[in-house]
Amino acid sequence: MSRRGLLLPLLGFLLLCLGCAAAPPKKDYTAFRAADPRSILVVPVVNNTTNVEAPGLFLSTLPIPVAERGYYVFPVNMVKRVLEDEGLSDPNLVHAADTARLCNLFGADSVLYVSIEAWTAQYMVITTQVTVEFDYVMKDGKTGDTIWKEHKKIVYAPQQQSGGGSPLASLVAAAVQAAVTKAAPNYMPLAQQANDQVINTPGVGLPAGPHNKEYGKDPVSAK
Amino acid sequence: MAGRRLRILLPLILAASCAAGCGPKRAYYWGDYDSALYSHYANPQDSERYLERLGQIVQQAEVEKDKVPPGLYAEYGYALFEAGRLDEAVTYYKKEREQWEESRVFMDKMIRNTQRLKENRPGPAPGGNLPPPAGGTPGSAPSAPAPPGDAK
Repeated sequence: MSRRGLLLPLLGFLLLCLGCAAAPPKKDYTAFRAADPRSILVVPVVNNTTNVEAPGLFLSTLPIPVAERGYYVFPVNMVKRVLEDEGLSDPNLVHAADTARLCNLFGADSVLYVSIEAWTAQYMVITTQVTVEFDYVMKDGKTGDTIWKEHKKIVYAPQQQSGGGSPLASLVAAAVQAAVTKAAPNYMPLAQQANDQVINTPGVGLPAGPHNKEYGKDPVSAK
Repeated sequence: MAGRRLRILLPLILAASCAAGCGPKRAYYWGDYDSALYSHYANPQDSERYLERLGQIVQQAEVEKDKVPPGLYAEYGYALFEAGRLDEAVTYYKKEREQWEESRVFMDKMIRNTQRLKENRPGPAPGGNLPPPAGGTPGSAPSAPAPPGDAK
């Protein structure tokens, strides 16, 4: 009995520690609250990968979660085209441009800069591992200071273990699945998941904006 | 075995439910806005289909009050603009401006630019070559239509 009585709390403690370690440190939102942006200009994303489709695909996943968080989000495609007309067709140029000037152009309170760090499908013998990685930085339109940033990497590999049934059958099934993934690796759910975690995780995410009922009430902005 | 099965299936189910619209219910009606956008990026020639899809989303979103998401009217207006339908473009820019105070500066500029373009349209513009509003290759022309403002 005594042994068990000791082990259990110990295990619990260990688990707790693990949980603590896994929880990211709370962010300092002082600068964010001082800026108190109502609107966010989501500019075209910088692509640090070799996948040419990634920037367009990823840009299209951004407005919904940001707007749902309670901000006015400028129309991303229109913004992209207008920037192109301004001679800023390269997202690197947009990201390097002066934030305050950019905000002036659109009447925006802040800018969200996102870059794609990884967007890959690694084909292994019986499965495909898909990795996405993004860097998010939000800057204040008046000062140009960074008021929020986050980084996210998600790796997804369907677990294919030859268990149960005939080993051959599951191997065939895995091969079929790998082929399907190979034909069209579906990055979108992963990208959406990354955005969701980055934006909506309490304590580190984007504080609720003025169009959200939680504005000013959520622990993030209350702290 | 059932456990194994579940282990394989669970991430898939999670991913699928995420794709279907993660988490709590949404404040706005988005329809297939994201997929309309990315098909447009993947296939820019198909601008008619893009215009049509945006139009459908606008129509659906307007059914319920306050369900039209930020940027949607403007995005649709810009698609109309690119199709050369300048009057309708201005109508939707105005709707955006009316619904979202935050869009005022940008929409004012776009409305002004579109109207100027329209006035100049019938004859050759004095001192300026007028590019066609639709189908311009992205990033090709510094003389492209409707810069939003004085970028010195």
